[in-house]
Amino acid sequence: MDRRDFLKGTAMTAATLAASRLAYGQERAAAEPASGDGVQWNKAPCRFCGTGCHVQVGVRGGKVVVIAGDQKAPVNKGLLCVKGYHVGLALYGGDRLTTPLLRKGDNQVPISWDEALDIIARRVLKDPKGFGVYGSGQWTIPEGYTASKFVKGGLGTHQLDANARLCMASAVTGFLATYGVDEPAGCYDDLDACDVLIMWGNNPAEMHPVLFSRVIDRRSRGEKVTLIDIGTRKTRTSGFCDHSLRFKPNTDLAIACGIAHLLVENGTYDKAFIEANCAFRAPSTPPTLEGKAITFEEYRELLKPYTPEKVEEISGVSAKDLRMLAGLFGRRDVRITSLWCMGMNQHTRGTAINNLVHGLHLLSGHFGKPGDAPTSLTGQPSACGTVREVGTLAHALPGGRVVAKAEHRAQMEEIWNLPKGRVSDKIGYHTVEMWKRFSTPTEQGGDIHTLWVQVTNPAQTLPNTHKLVDPSRKLADKFLIVSDVYPSATTRIADLVLPSAMWVEKNGMVGNSERRTQQWFKMVNPPGQARDDAWQLIAVAHRLFELGFEGMKDKDGRFLFEVKGRDGKPVPIWDFAHYYDVNVDEHLFEEYRKTTRIKHKDLAPYQEYVKARGLRWPVVQQPDGSWRETRFRFAGFDDPYVKKGRDIQFYHSTTHDDRAQIWFSPYEPPPESPDTEFPFWLCTGRVIEHWHSGTMTTRIPQLRRAMPQAYVEMNSADARRLGVSNGEQVTVETRRGKLDLPVWIGGRGEPVEGSLFVPFFDERLLINGLTLDEHDPFSKQPDYKKCAARVRRRERVAEKQG
Amino acid sequence: MPISSLVLTLDASPQLRALALSEVARDPRITVGPPLEERWLPVVTETASLSEGESLAASLRELPGVSFVDVVRVDFSEEER
Ligand code: SF4
Repeated sequence: MDRRDFLKGTAMTAATLAASRLAYGQERAAAEPASGDGVQWNKAPCRFCGTGCHVQVGVRGGKVVVIAGDQKAPVNKGLLCVKGYHVGLALYGGDRLTTPLLRKGDNQVPISWDEALDIIARRVLKDPKGFGVYGSGQWTIPEGYTASKFVKGGLGTHQLDANARLCMASAVTGFLATYGVDEPAGCYDDLDACDVLIMWGNNPAEMHPVLFSRVIDRRSRGEKVTLIDIGTRKTRTSGFCDHSLRFKPNTDLAIACGIAHLLVENGTYDKAFIEANCAFRAPSTPPTLEGKAITFEEYRELLKPYTPEKVEEISGVSAKDLRMLAGLFGRRDVRITSLWCMGMNQHTRGTAINNLVHGLHLLSGHFGKPGDAPTSLTGQPSACGTVREVGTLAHALPGGRVVAKAEHRAQMEEIWNLPKGRVSDKIGYHTVEMWKRFSTPTEQGGDIHTLWVQVTNPAQTLPNTHKLVDPSRKLADKFLIVSDVYPSATTRIADLVLPSAMWVEKNGMVGNSERRTQQWFKMVNPPGQARDDAWQLIAVAHRLFELGFEGMKDKDGRFLFEVKGRDGKPVPIWDFAHYYDVNVDEHLFEEYRKTTRIKHKDLAPYQEYVKARGLRWPVVQQPDGSWRETRFRFAGFDDPYVKKGRDIQFYHSTTHDDRAQIWFSPYEPPPESPDTEFPFWLCTGRVIEHWHSGTMTTRIPQLRRAMPQAYVEMNSADARRLGVSNGEQVTVETRRGKLDLPVWIGGRGEPVEGSLFVPFFDERLLINGLTLDEHDPFSKQPDYKKCAARVRRRERVAEKQG
Repeated sequence: MPISSLVLTLDASPQLRALALSEVARDPRITVGPPLEERWLPVVTETASLSEGESLAASLRELPGVSFVDVVRVDFSEEER
C-alpha cells in the first residue's frame, strides 16, 4: 500500500466512524466479551472523561488486548465513544516513562527511586510551608486522599490544589451558594426523562458523547425531546438541536436574567415551589459567596432592566428566542434538564452564571422530578470524586469540610489521629496563585519553592503559561517534580521526573459527574519502574518519617499511612515490593469513607463498589443490610435524607431553613474584550478525539491520525476578509503571546464572525500561552473561553519582519 | 493533494437521496463509503489544493439531497510537503 492509499484508507475510517456516531449516536455496541480465548475480562471505568462509562478490559499475556463497552453499566449500557474504544491503547505508546529522571544541566538523567525519594524529602525539609502539591481530577480517589493527608495532615499546610480548579470550580461555588452543598441533585437518568434539554455553552456531542447519544437514541425511537443549544459557536451538538442560539461572549448572564425577568413579569414562575423552598439573594459589598438576602419585590426590581429587547441588544439572542425559552420554563407540563460544563465554568463570572441557571430552575419549579434538573458535567473522570468530595483544594478538607471551620479541622485531626492544631487554619494558594508564587523570585514574595505535580500537565494547560510557568524555570531555587506516564510539556521542563503507573496498571476508584463512585482492580503491570502515584506520596512520607519529621507521625508516634495486615502487623507499603501485599486502596478508601457523612455524601464499603458498576451517593444501608444509592437529591421520593412527607428539602441550606437561594447577578462586561488592536474573540476547548493535553490520546495511532494537530477555526466571512483559505498558516496573537496555526473553515465547529476557536490538546502548539489568567473571584477558575486576539497571514508577518 | 474525510447527512426523501448519491458518485475526486441507516454517507475527497477541497465541500453543501456536511478531518500533511 502506498502512502496515498494509506491516507485515504485512514480518512475513510475516520469518516465512517463519524458517520456511525451520527447515525447511532456513537459507534455500534460491542458484543458481550467472549471468554475462552485466553482473555481474562474485568471491569473498569474508562480512563478519560467525566461521563464515567464502564468498559470491559480484556487481558492476555499480561497485556490489555481488547476493550468492550460494558453491557452491565447503567451509564453507557455497552456503548463507548471513539476515545473509550481505544482506551486500552493509551498504555502502550512507545515512549512511556520508565525510570526516575533528574535534571543535570540540559539533560535529564536516570536515577534510582531511592535517590528520587531522598531529593523530594530534602526539598520538604528545606521549608515544608513552601512545598506544594498540584494534583488532578484524574487522580483516583485514594490518590487524592493520600495527597490530602500528606499535605494537610502531614506537612501541616494547605499548599495543595488540583487542576479541577481549572475546569469545575465555578460549578462548586454555584452549588454552594445555591444549596449550601456541592454537586448536582439530578443525574443522568434525567436525560431519559426530560422533554427539553438545554445545553448552556456545552458541546456534549463531542465532550460527553455517550450521554448525548442517550438523548439522540430517544429521538430515534420516536420520542420528542426538544434540544436547545445556547453557545458562542456552532458545534457538533448544534447540528442536532431544534434551537441553536448564538450569544456574544460573556453575555449569558444577561440571557439568564432576561428569562427570569419574563417569568416574573408574566407570572409564569412557580409561586408554590418558591414559597415552600426558596429565598432570594443578591451580591453583597464586599462580595461573599453568601451575598445578601433580598425580597421577591427587590428581586423583581433588579430584573426589570433585563427586558427581551435589552437582552437582545446585549447578547445578540433575539427577543423572540428569549420569549421561547421563558415560555418553556414557564410551562408546568414539560420537564427541563439543563447541562453545562466548561462554557459556564471557565468564566470570570462563573459562579454568578451557575447561580443564575440554578435560579431559573428553582424559580420555575423545574427541579426535583426525574427530567427536571440543573446538572453540571465534569470534564475529568474524578473531578467530583477526587477533588470535590475528597477536598484536594487549598481551602478544603475531605468529605465537604473546609479549612476555615475549626470544627472541621478538629474532625480531621480526630480521623487522622493527629495532635491538636496539626491541621492548619491558613488556607493555601489556589492554582493560579500557587503557580504565580512558584514563578516569582523568593525574595519578591514567591514563597513556593517546590511543586510536585501529579497526573496533570500544567505547562500545557495553565492559562497564560508565559507568566505562570516559564519564569520559574529561570529561577535557581525553584524545583519542579512531575509524576507522569509519558513525556509531556511539563516533564520536559521538570527538575525531577517520576514514572507513574496508569489506569489498570494499578487499583483505582473515581467519582463521575452524577455522584457515581466506581472501582477497578489492577490488571497488568506498569512498565519498567513506573509506580502508583499514591505509593510515591506514601514512600516520600515514610522517608520523612525515617528522618524524624514530626508531621509524618500521628499523635501516638505511628507512621501516618500505617496499614496493618491480617496478622495485625504493619505492612511496609512504602517498599513497592510490598505495596500490593494488601489492598492499599481499600484501606485508604475505608478511612476516607468516615469523612463522608457530614455533608450527606455517604459512601458504601469498598466491597460494594467491587460488585457494582458504580453507586451514586449518598449510599445508605437498608434494614436488610443492602446498600441503596440515591438518584435524585433533595427529592422526597428518592433521597433518604429528606424528612418523611416532604417533597423537597434543601437540608444543607445556607440559611438553615431548608431553602435554596435564587440569586440575582447582573451582567457585567468581561475583563478583556476585542478592540481595534485585537479585534477577535479567542476561545479554547477540546475535540472528541483527544483527552485534554493529548498526553495519552496522541499516543493512540487511530486518534492521532483522526485529529493530528491543533488548528484555528475561523468563520468563512472573516477568512474571506483576511484573504486566508483553508489550511493556510496564520499567526494568532494576544497580549500574552502568539502562535502559528493552520486555519480550518467550515469544519466541525464554526465560530461566529469575529471569533476564533483553538483546541488545546496539541503539545506542539501551546495555545494556553495566549490565554488570560483572569479568574472568577469566588471559584478562582480562569477564563479560557474568551480573550482578545488578532490574526495575520503568515506571509505578511514574514514580509514585515523581513 | 489534500485528503479530507466528510460525512454527508442526506435528505429524508428517497428521491432526493438517490439524486445526491448519483451526483456524488460521479465526481472522480470523491470516494464514497457505505451509507449508514441510508442517511449518513462517509466520503473521502482528494483535491489538488486545500482551497479546492474547501470549494468542493461547499458545493456538496449546496447539492439537492444533502442536508448537512460534516468535516471530520482534513489531512494537511501532503499540502505541507
Ligand atoms: S464518553 Fe467519556 S467515559 Fe465514555 S467512553 Fe467516551 S471518553 Fe470514555
